Amino acid sequence: MRSFPGRAGVWLGFLALLLLLPHALSYSQQEILVFLTINILLVVSYRLLTLTGEWSLGHAVIMGVGAYASALYTKELGIFVPASMILGACTAALVALVLSYPLFRMKGFYFLIGSFAAGEIIRLLWKRFREPFGGPKGLKRIDPMPDFDIAVWRFDFFEPVSYYYFAAAVVGFSLWLMRRIERSPVGLTFHAVHWQDKLAEASGVNVRAYRTLAFVIASGFAGLSGALLAHYIGAVNPNMFDLELMVFILTWTIIGGTATIYGPVIGCIALTIINEIVLREIGLEQMRPFVYGLLLIVSVLFLPKGLESLVQKGLARVARAKRGEES
Amino acid sequence: MFANFIGKSQTRRKFLGSASAFAGLGTLSSALPGRALAQGEPIKIGFLAPLTGPVAGWGKPGLDGIQIWAEWINAAGGINIGGESHMFEFIPYDNEYDPSKARTGATKLIQEDGVKFIMMLGGDTWAGVQPVADRTGMLFSTLLNSDLGPETTTLLAPAESHPVYNVTGVDWLAENHPDLKTAVMCAQEDALGLPSVATYLAAFEAAGIEMLEDPILFDPAATDFAPIVTRMISGNPDIISLDTCYPDYVHPIMEQLFQQGYGGQVISCTLDFYGQIIEKTSVEFLEGLVFQFPDFDDPAMNQDFINFQNPNKFWDVYNERYPGQWGAVSWEYASIMDIWSAAAMEAGSVEPEDVLSTMLATGTGKHAFGDATWWGEDLFGVNHTLLGNWPVVRVEGGKARIKEFRSVPAWYEKHGEILKKHMRAYGQMPDQR
Repeated sequence: MRSFPGRAGVWLGFLALLLLLPHALSYSQQEILVFLTINILLVVSYRLLTLTGEWSLGHAVIMGVGAYASALYTKELGIFVPASMILGACTAALVALVLSYPLFRMKGFYFLIGSFAAGEIIRLLWKRFREPFGGPKGLKRIDPMPDFDIAVWRFDFFEPVSYYYFAAAVVGFSLWLMRRIERSPVGLTFHAVHWQDKLAEASGVNVRAYRTLAFVIASGFAGLSGALLAHYIGAVNPNMFDLELMVFILTWTIIGGTATIYGPVIGCIALTIINEIVLREIGLEQMRPFVYGLLLIVSVLFLPKGLESLVQKGLARVARAKRGEES
Repeated sequence: MFANFIGKSQTRRKFLGSASAFAGLGTLSSALPGRALAQGEPIKIGFLAPLTGPVAGWGKPGLDGIQIWAEWINAAGGINIGGESHMFEFIPYDNEYDPSKARTGATKLIQEDGVKFIMMLGGDTWAGVQPVADRTGMLFSTLLNSDLGPETTTLLAPAESHPVYNVTGVDWLAENHPDLKTAVMCAQEDALGLPSVATYLAAFEAAGIEMLEDPILFDPAATDFAPIVTRMISGNPDIISLDTCYPDYVHPIMEQLFQQGYGGQVISCTLDFYGQIIEKTSVEFLEGLVFQFPDFDDPAMNQDFINFQNPNKFWDVYNERYPGQWGAVSWEYASIMDIWSAAAMEAGSVEPEDVLSTMLATGTGKHAFGDATWWGEDLFGVNHTLLGNWPVVRVEGGKARIKEFRSVPAWYEKHGEILKKHMRAYGQMPDQR
């Protein structure tokens, strides 16, 4: 009970920080903040998938499924944008469910390669069919989030600050949901499937069903991140969801760590700042592949549990100091 | 206290700008300053192109080229706007050929850097920038006029009429080598490759050259070109067209053609860094290859109708600074700046609206390769492409040589309907895009 007001205070402070953050940034940094917020949802959803021990190379394409679906629902059927985003997420989850049938006949490396192949098939379909996917050029002039007013506040979602608040609310709620899932019996079973799959199977757990469930849920959230992206920039094309984006997702995840929900978030934030702000400011954009490769090697060698292990050590030190003060 | 949180770099004006976005005052739409330049204030121009990644070959050499152009203009005292001299300052932003990064770059250049004009490569990235252009009225240029449409009111293609000028190479080949009767083609399947495929198909049809099979379209992520080349040469074609492939594709395809023993005619839109291809193949192998982008030390570039200033000197300085890096776009952004600065001087203003209306006022313009007309309504829905002559270049003795300047409008006059037919088949007409 004693820790409750403290924890609430920390969360309130964090919320205030998120609200004030865009106002401390330049306009282009606000734009980057919007993309960072969307990418946080993407990378955390990827971590949810890895809870069962499977690493996919199709997650970027699944994000694209949500983006394309949401864009098409608004363009072709005139569905209200927020509703189309939810439908886009559901479509991504549905596509994942269909893919899971052949993919979860495989495990480990075979699943990894199979997921890449499945993703490439989807990308080729987008390219091949100009109707309705727009072919290689993709879809343009996708409806934006409709502007609205609350009292004196006008939310113009072309502006990054307004869209950041909207995306942050959606991403925050999604992260809370994923955390609840992970802490539920279903989430604990995901961990069991990862670390003790034979034991779990012997205990009556349908391992394949749980792997499928994690894949479908993670894909739904990835699809939602794609929908958020599509309605912000107003365009999608097949190259936006290619292997390069998948490499970014993997790098964020590996450098951040996967033991906690904040691990990949830290990885995503740290690398986005290095990529979009530091390298650009010092004019070393062309060194990006080198810097990413170097960071990945350094991380694997010296921080095998990711950046999150530094946070965990810091928190443990604070807790020890606190205990020392109390005693 | 709050000011401390905001930090030293955050000005009150910037904060109010951000806050007004929250309050809905629309900051980007009010971003264009619309004020006269202060005395001595430099004119800022944005350069929004891929400087890293597989498409960087069509960004970085252009940035290098405009830096030379700016040095020359600034050394001569800048340009005269309304009776005052102003220097140029170019602000680059690497969009990595990604629409979302292009959007961020465009807003940064407009909102934070206060640029008056933004030059782009275009293609996939234009889709992310278009809403910014609509919102701000900023003047943009593209090298790919397939980006143009009736709705792109502030987008111009003053340097390249890509892909339409590709017809001149095929037309020249048909006239000078009537023995060449069959062709095959490969291209990456993207916003750049497909309109070019339609153009080459039209040019081959107009020239009476038979396509042995449908164009081979490969994924832009492709890295292994051996099977593509094997398939292309299997029918023993007289001509292999490389369409408008990026340098990262042209080089390995040429290597494969060499290794697999192809000895026929090759035609390509670009042949960037061809010295490197010669190193990997041979001078003899490249002999006779036809493409569309000249070296500027070519004597033909000194003819009276050429509007590009000091092309030979530009070539010398460029190659001294960036040896082996000369490519298709090295001169193009500089030539766009020639056209833009002439219009700005005439308008006495650098504001996007004034420069745009002055540029288009007479319906004609001074293109690098000669006087040209603003064209494109028929094919792109808007007369925002500066179209005139385009050079046909042939590799001879390991060196690119201009064989002839051919009129693109004259070809279109005769064969325009064929081009429209193929553009429609590939979904490239304005109503399809």
